[in-house]
Amino acid sequence: MSEYKSYQLVLFSVICFGLFGCTTVTIDQGQHQEVTMHQGDSIVVMGRRAGSDYETEPELISCIGEVLAKTNESLNVIPENDFVDRLYPWFEARTAPTHVRDLNRLLSYDKISALIEDYKVQYIVWVDGNTEKTRSAGSISCGLSATGAACFGFGTWDTKSEYEATIWDYNSRQLVGKVSSTADGTSYMPAIVIPIPIIAPVQADACKAMAAQLGHFFGSERKSAEVPNTN
Amino acid sequence: MTYFSKKLINNIRLFTLLFCVILTSCKSTLDVEGNFPTPVINQMPFSIGVVFDPQFISYRYIETGKDRSEWEISVGKAQVQLFDVVLKAMFSEVITSNKLRGMTNKPIDLFFQPSLENFQYNVPNETKGKMFEVWLKYNLKVFDGQQQLMADWVLTAYGKTPTAFLKSDEAALNEAMVIALRDLGAGIALRFGHVPEINLWLKSKHQALQASTAHQEIDDVN
Repeated sequence: MSEYKSYQLVLFSVICFGLFGCTTVTIDQGQHQEVTMHQGDSIVVMGRRAGSDYETEPELISCIGEVLAKTNESLNVIPENDFVDRLYPWFEARTAPTHVRDLNRLLSYDKISALIEDYKVQYIVWVDGNTEKTRSAGSISCGLSATGAACFGFGTWDTKSEYEATIWDYNSRQLVGKVSSTADGTSYMPAIVIPIPIIAPVQADACKAMAAQLGHFFGSERKSAEVPNTN
Repeated sequence: MTYFSKKLINNIRLFTLLFCVILTSCKSTLDVEGNFPTPVINQMPFSIGVVFDPQFISYRYIETGKDRSEWEISVGKAQVQLFDVVLKAMFSEVITSNKLRGMTNKPIDLFFQPSLENFQYNVPNETKGKMFEVWLKYNLKVFDGQQQLMADWVLTAYGKTPTAFLKSDEAALNEAMVIALRDLGAGIALRFGHVPEINLWLKSKHQALQASTAHQEIDDVN
């Protein structure tokens, strides 16, 4: 009996946590300038928050930073909150530089340039975009009776993530390149007594794809920048 | 009164009390809390007297709209905290009081009195982008050392935050409030010197300081 119960529990867990919807991710990359990373150089990944009808999610920015740092151990990624707080109020939604040439104006303040140099920032990555539900269909109805509660029905919805990362070179004050990540996925929720969510992790997949491409962008360039050992 | 009628009245009282507790728990209350970083700006060598009147310190917004859910939002403590951090970074000396007259016997270069004139917010079902949004409109009065009104300045601030899974409405609105207050701090720190009357005053003060320094240097040489 106890074996049967644990079998039921495992099956339930697999149903609840093991089913994911499918996501299609498209990555695009454009490089305008050659980049070089040296030992100890850092990058900072920040979100654009100036859009009036959407907001680049803070959790996506921290996800990209974490995945980048995890997959490229030698890459020093500065957390967005630390950087923005330390340089308050120059990187707030309405005060952050929108063009790479605006960095010159910002860095004319000695205190700002000293702080950024303290961080050894080599590249600034701006991520703009969001994840939104694009379509939903179906219905689920739930009922409560003396014997218990039950749901019946079927629901489905599409989610789309569109993000673009713009990479600035802090030292040359030039636009280095752009990486875009588009992810589409459909989630399902059949309900037969209990609702079983089959969620497409669209935002998480867009984050992983963007971080992998950025890692490749910086990683491949770092290899070319390494000084060959002549000894 | 019989034993049963007494018991009935007690039961009605208890039921009413429970009903009130349930009703009260439907209202969302928020005491805005946040940490505001010190702005990276050049400090001005002036003293400022800041007036936080009791209404400003205890500012509380109570939603009265019939079509909206009940909210009670206390902003006072957080806005005082923000002004405190920002003004201390902007001026070499900051003195706070709850009234303008008789603040101190010391000569003070400027006096400053903020007031929150308008507070608005939106919850996700009221916005296209499913976000919490906050607008703040402040009236900032700046007085000279003789407490004569020098500038009457209106500054607006805006903050928004997307809804997130496993985040309560209170936490999300608090985040939008903190972003709006940070925007306000940025506006004060970066635009204070651009208000025409203040800009004129700052220029005259800097010229006077430079002249006095040059005069001092000549005296030292002689």
